[in-house]
Amino acid sequence: MRKIPIIMDCDPGHDDALAMLWALSEPEKLEIKAVTIVAGNQTLEKTTRNALRVLTFAGVHNIPVAMGADHPLMRPSIFEEGVTEMVHGQSGLDGPAMPEPGFAPKKMSALQLLIKTIEESEEKITLVPTGPLTNIAALFLVRPDLKEKIERISLMGGGAYTGNWTPAAEYNIYVDPEAASIVFNSGVPIVMAGLDVTHQAYITREENEILRQKGGRIAVFAAELIDFFSRYHYEVEKLPGCTIHDACAVAYLCHPEIFVEKQCHVDIELEGSLTAGTTVCDPGNYEGKEKNATVLYGVDREKFAELFIEAMSKLDK
Amino acid sequence: MAKIPLIIDCDPGHDDAIALMLAASASDVFDLRAVTTVGGAQSVDKTFYNARRVLTVIGLDVPVARGAAQPMVRKALSGTEIVHGESGLDGPRLPEPDLTPCNLTAFELLCKVLEEAEEPVTICPTGPMTNIGILLAVRPDLKKKIKEFSIMGGGFYMGNWTAAAEFNILADPEAAKIMFDSGIPIIMSGLDVTHKAYVTREENEVIRANGNRCSVLAAELIDYFSRYHYEVEHLPGCTLHDPCAVAYLLKPEIFTGKLCHVDIDVNGQYTLGKTIVDWFDHTHKEKNVLVLHDVDRPAFVELLTTQLAKLR
Repeated sequence: MRKIPIIMDCDPGHDDALAMLWALSEPEKLEIKAVTIVAGNQTLEKTTRNALRVLTFAGVHNIPVAMGADHPLMRPSIFEEGVTEMVHGQSGLDGPAMPEPGFAPKKMSALQLLIKTIEESEEKITLVPTGPLTNIAALFLVRPDLKEKIERISLMGGGAYTGNWTPAAEYNIYVDPEAASIVFNSGVPIVMAGLDVTHQAYITREENEILRQKGGRIAVFAAELIDFFSRYHYEVEKLPGCTIHDACAVAYLCHPEIFVEKQCHVDIELEGSLTAGTTVCDPGNYEGKEKNATVLYGVDREKFAELFIEAMSKLDK
Repeated sequence: MAKIPLIIDCDPGHDDAIALMLAASASDVFDLRAVTTVGGAQSVDKTFYNARRVLTVIGLDVPVARGAAQPMVRKALSGTEIVHGESGLDGPRLPEPDLTPCNLTAFELLCKVLEEAEEPVTICPTGPMTNIGILLAVRPDLKKKIKEFSIMGGGFYMGNWTAAAEFNILADPEAAKIMFDSGIPIIMSGLDVTHKAYVTREENEVIRANGNRCSVLAAELIDYFSRYHYEVEHLPGCTLHDPCAVAYLLKPEIFTGKLCHVDIDVNGQYTLGKTIVDWFDHTHKEKNVLVLHDVDRPAFVELLTTQLAKLR
């Protein structure tokens, strides 16, 4: 199998960090060409610092990192100090101890790094956005010609059956719905790991102990990320485990066979006073529109957990 | 146990017709006081006619009234003939109506039954909510005479007319909003549960083999109605949406639901008519709706089959 060249566009965030570690653990399948950062789970400064700290902790210094959008394309930022703290803590990545960043972000912007990486690549690039879609939308607005050099977009965002920030909307899409609309209407193939699948992709307390007992520093670090992140899932969302949303976007690229998918048309609602940011999926094809997304509706949860634990412990070898 | 005083507000419609039969079959449980009709599956003239034809076959002489021809605010949806045919009830042969005429409009009949009721009445809307929206908007004083609504409408995992919206809600979102905002308890049989409440071809033959007139009529309605489910929607059987709203009242223990806040979208570009179910209680708004999301399907089919056998 040929390696898939990817760019991770993220806002770490516990699950972004775990997604990044998973991608690093499968070098025979994935090659991370660049990491671009967006504000989301925390401010841009904090999400950037978190990405650098995670890469540093994993001993990776050679992947270029660049800072992107600190606010949505058109709307005022819903991001206020404190609003996401209950999920990711004050740092955006509370919980485990981490080193200070061992390297600096590139001087260029995320947009410039996206353009440079895509232009220089001989193969088509797969984008893996796990935060608000502002950077990716900016790329398509500025350089629509580069769409043809993108293989597909495997993203975490949205959800057909429920939201997680409003009843109808998932956070990443809700933060910047216009950006999401630009991305979903771009014509580039999209794989949507929304809440339909990510709510099934959870790690139980028992499984997290199995992970911790692997004993390596990355395994223990991942277990500690889950310790913190899962508090919100158990206490506020009343979910049966720690939901590793963003990791689904990576796991799908490495292990598509464990997921249940359906080709659908997906629109992004921009106007509804109660529904802005909803990914309006049409699995029944009632509107007969072009199927622009592969929506993930299910996953073999036990297999997912097993592969996740294996990925985290592989990095310690 | 005292009988449940019941009004069915419907737009027959194949599944409405079977819902009427199911309600009529349980005369030990329901005191069916009125049937009001609304435009939806077809024009209100046709649904009014269809309701009376079906009740004539059942032999139940209940007051039936013609209701709203148009949604409260918007224009009526078109294109329903693909589901229910030109008559709104294509397929089986039906007799001409032979019921004692009722000279009241649906609004008047709803008011009369509620005013005369000594205990709160359960209303079962299985079409667009226009008659209910008008009632609640014009006579809010009668809210206290309504025990609950057991409705067929909405759905949170998908729509069936647009991607986001189910037909009955989309057909009159403002009316639905009035009902959902009314404070009266609602049991919502949306697509989440109704897509699980289907009858297979084999099961329909068991219904037909009951042999009584109403069972044969139900089987023939299912024959016609299921074509849309198999050929257009690619579902595993004939989806008996509307009977769920009655079946819940008859046998709640076969259904699974969750109490949630539900809002109706009335201004979305793509989400108009969506039932926004706050499954995870993000808004902390009052939990006004029991959202049914699962049914013991074999028990549902068994209930339907045995109840239909009790009719003529």
